[in-house]
Amino acid sequence: MLENWTEQLRRGTLEMAVLLTVSPGRRYGLEIIRHLEEFTDLVLPEGTVYPLLTRLARDGFLTAEWIADEGPHPRKYYQLTPSGRARLNNMCREFQAFTGKIDRLMKAAGRDV
Amino acid sequence: MRLSESGESRVRGYLYVFERSLRSFLAPKVATDAVREVESHIRDAVAQTGDVPNELDALERILMRLGPPIKVAQAYSLELVMDEAETTGRLGPVFRSLFQSAATGITAFFGAFGLFAGYASGLACIAIAILKPIFPENVGIWMHHGVPISAGAMFPPPSPGRGWTMTGGYAIVPLFLGIGLMLLVLTHWFARKWIGRLRARRQVMNPMMIR
Repeated sequence: MLENWTEQLRRGTLEMAVLLTVSPGRRYGLEIIRHLEEFTDLVLPEGTVYPLLTRLARDGFLTAEWIADEGPHPRKYYQLTPSGRARLNNMCREFQAFTGKIDRLMKAAGRDV
Repeated sequence: MRLSESGESRVRGYLYVFERSLRSFLAPKVATDAVREVESHIRDAVAQTGDVPNELDALERILMRLGPPIKVAQAYSLELVMDEAETTGRLGPVFRSLFQSAATGITAFFGAFGLFAGYASGLACIAIAILKPIFPENVGIWMHHGVPISAGAMFPPPSPGRGWTMTGGYAIVPLFLGIGLMLLVLTHWFARKWIGRLRARRQVMNPMMIR
């Protein structure tokens, strides 16, 4: 049961984490995954990040572009669009408000972890 | 790390299974792009791996971290359910797409509602055709003082003394079977068109598409 809950949390926050990862500038798939792995344990398994990137690009939150001359083989680079940046700002605001409330609730319950 | 011929063969095998899984539900262009991207991932991961004594073990670790090809393809299915619905017309993806689209706006809600009503009506007609031979006195077209009121089953049947009569006889079996099947086929056709329109509209609204 706890695993299901953790999985839902992971799914719910992965999109925001991906948008945060590409917010400083364009990155390609493995670069995004390695960055996420450095800071989180959200990527399990690695291959599931690509469908999310495809969907975010299709929905207009990211641009995706194949670039052939910046590595030993062509790589697909992702970059935030203006609508992606707006979505990320909204997500960060909502997330901070949400975690702030849960944090206060935990403190009120004496679970200051 | 540079891949030997057996390593290359293992990568090709992985990509082959992945592409076969994707092509069963995704448009060929999207599937090809996804395969190209996963191949790029593998090549990058291989390039980042230093010299190792056992190349195949290192490659297996890379593929294991990437995930089984079928599982990765399933993740695409979850994210791109509308593409799957329009391409394959399978009921599961179509219903999932309709549920998803119903939450995106008022027009989409009523569109999805109408399509669900179409499916339900088609199934109801087929149920009437199936139930007629089982309950001949309870299933038919119900008239009240000569005016048709409803079609279906009534348990118990209303009293003829109160002006209720049942008409249609066994002719309703092929009639309702035909209407039911026609409704299901038409509704499904409209559902795929509707999903295609929603997808196209979303793509027009978001011009930054995958290149």
